[in-house]
Amino acid sequence: MSEGPMAVVKPEMKSYIWLQTADGSIQQVEEEVAMFCPMICREVLQTGMGSSKNYAISLPQRVSPAIFGLVLDYCRFHQVPGHSNKERKTFDEKFIRLDTKILCELTSAADSLQLRPLVDLTSRALARIIEGKTPEEIRETFHLPDDLTEEEKLEPLRNLTDDPRIRLLNRLYARKRKELREREKIKNFEVEEEQLVDKRSVDDLLSFINGGDEESKGVKAAKNKKKNRRRKDLATHSSSNNGNANHIKEPNCLPSSCHNGDVDNVSSPSKNSTFQDSASPVFSPKLEFDDGDVDDELDPAMKEELDREVEDFARRLNSVWPERMHEILSLGQERRPVPVSLNGNGAMKRCTDVDSR
Amino acid sequence: MDDDLRGDLISDLPQSIIETILTKLPIKDAIRTSTLSRKWRYKWTTITDLVFNDKCASSYYDRPNSENNLVNFITHLLFLHDGPIHKFALSTSFLQSSPDIDQWLLFLSRKGTKELSIELGEGEWFRAPSCLFMYSKLTHLELVRCELDPPPHFKGFLCLKYLNLQQVLMPPDDIENLISSCPLLESLTLSYFDSLELTLCAPNLKYLSLEGEFLDICLENTPRLATVSVAMYMTDDIAEHFEHSSSCNIDKFLGGVPCLERLVGQIYFTKYLSVGMDRGINRIKYDRLKIVELYQVNFEDLNEVLAVLHVIVSSPNLKELQISGSSNTSAALLASDLGIWEKECSKDYMFDQLKTVKITEVSGILHEMGFIKFLLVHSPVLKEMTIIPSAYVTDGRLNMLVNLVRYRRASAQAEVIFVQEQL
Repeated sequence: MSEGPMAVVKPEMKSYIWLQTADGSIQQVEEEVAMFCPMICREVLQTGMGSSKNYAISLPQRVSPAIFGLVLDYCRFHQVPGHSNKERKTFDEKFIRLDTKILCELTSAADSLQLRPLVDLTSRALARIIEGKTPEEIRETFHLPDDLTEEEKLEPLRNLTDDPRIRLLNRLYARKRKELREREKIKNFEVEEEQLVDKRSVDDLLSFINGGDEESKGVKAAKNKKKNRRRKDLATHSSSNNGNANHIKEPNCLPSSCHNGDVDNVSSPSKNSTFQDSASPVFSPKLEFDDGDVDDELDPAMKEELDREVEDFARRLNSVWPERMHEILSLGQERRPVPVSLNGNGAMKRCTDVDSR
Repeated sequence: MDDDLRGDLISDLPQSIIETILTKLPIKDAIRTSTLSRKWRYKWTTITDLVFNDKCASSYYDRPNSENNLVNFITHLLFLHDGPIHKFALSTSFLQSSPDIDQWLLFLSRKGTKELSIELGEGEWFRAPSCLFMYSKLTHLELVRCELDPPPHFKGFLCLKYLNLQQVLMPPDDIENLISSCPLLESLTLSYFDSLELTLCAPNLKYLSLEGEFLDICLENTPRLATVSVAMYMTDDIAEHFEHSSSCNIDKFLGGVPCLERLVGQIYFTKYLSVGMDRGINRIKYDRLKIVELYQVNFEDLNEVLAVLHVIVSSPNLKELQISGSSNTSAALLASDLGIWEKECSKDYMFDQLKTVKITEVSGILHEMGFIKFLLVHSPVLKEMTIIPSAYVTDGRLNMLVNLVRYRRASAQAEVIFVQEQL
């Protein structure tokens, strides 16, 4: 700090206040800067502390040395009466460009020091960060845990959603995701068991095609069948709801979505977009807000699976035989870990047998 | 304090800060935070400021649904809300009068609401329910397009500081009663009232803004008034009223405002002031009056000119003056009475603080030029005088300039800026 002629006269003319931060380190701060903080001001006036190193004022727990440095920068600028309002605004805008974590710490520190203008400034910055973001994005920015259950996410605001179709869609989607997550968990268990499950499911489909060759599967097959049917029902439901949802949100969806006939690769991106669009009422507000670009909560892999499954069932509805077989097999193959691919080939062989029949 | 284990940055901030942040968000975003995490589920329910506008209703649906959506949204939100509500603001074009609004107002009256602002759509005007007058803690009230009918036993809003009524239908006596029964009133704005005769008794009033058709404005008891802004419209009734008036308006209006700092008058305000000029006026000094803006002054009317003169000569500390003329002719008027300027003040009178003058819509008529000349001669510290000729007058501009160049200036640093092109 350049003092100019003052420095020549008497360096001790400036008075300092001694402050101790949470970590124990003590520093001295120019009086007018420190007194800008109401909490420090009160301490000095009421208790007389801060005049020397031994009697340093203890700052609240939430004020770390690094953050305190920032607070002092703020105080140092604003306590000068000469600045115009415009200059102060410019300073504030630049000052607030901080990492989110530091911004939160700064808000906390400013609050404990009772520095209201800085609290308002940082709060506004945090609000600007939150505004317009999806819940996921906000969770990511602030490292919030996603610890609400599906139902909890929907209520108590459920009644704020008017449209029963959207509510139904929410529920179906939630159920679907839960299942996918369960399947993920199962995947992470022993490989063998997964083999078994996978194999059975493909075989199950084949048996369905072949008219019940593999009866020995018994309960598990039945269970898988039920599972498949439920999934199919869900998908049809979602498909039909997608159709309805399309009516609601027509500008965003391609008309050719889930119904019949044209099964080609073009429809899959539209599927993706339809699903995402219909997913939006789930999260955004449970109130009818339009957030076409809200991602659902799954990571991309699960989302892909979901989309693929929906595609798959839609195609099943169309019953195009060779394509179907390919789909089933490729689905089966992708879900298998490597060693089991032999069986996949085996299954293929069997199919060709069927074909050649 | 950060939860370093989980890295959560924000959830453990004090609730007061969380509420500050949530209040700075649009209400939709604030509610959405309830889906963030377990801790955030009910954080929004205690925010004390609720601001609703048309964006809260879905933009997908057409109008009938938008209205329902908005009503449902607000009703359900109020249901889920917990704790006091300090501010409730609703600004929407979807809603007109509706029983739901009455219910909300009843609900809010029990929540200690301090700030209330309601602006509804054009259509059937909303009629304020009687529960509005039970808001004992009200400090801010803003109503647009509504009918207000205070009950006879209404004692006033004892905490009200800020009142803004725009297009409000209210019995004229009740307006005066309402104002005088709010002892703490500091700011009053009345817009678009019809044929109102207003007598103001507001001992704490600091800011006054009036716009509409006023028959009469009498500032009877407003000693602390610092800023006055008046835009007076004219009707035949009012013109007639002026003619038959027997009082001196300058006295009535400016007689009781010694602390005035800023005066803004528009449209027919100077005409209003000029009524009764010749009846002898009390000379009050407005020591704090620094800014005077008088627009649409009719320089062809001698009385109006004198009224303007009276105001500025009574303000020894005047810093900034803005005047706009309203004549469309550039014809030189009848025999000039050059003595009028000196009649109002002595030859040595100086505007010691006047630094900035801006005169717009100048047509070059005699009194306008006389006024400019007068100012130049009596303003020793003048820095800048901007003159913008009226767009309708193109021929007389050269004459104007010729005269301007000739006038003596008391201030050596004065810049006289003649603006050719209008914005």
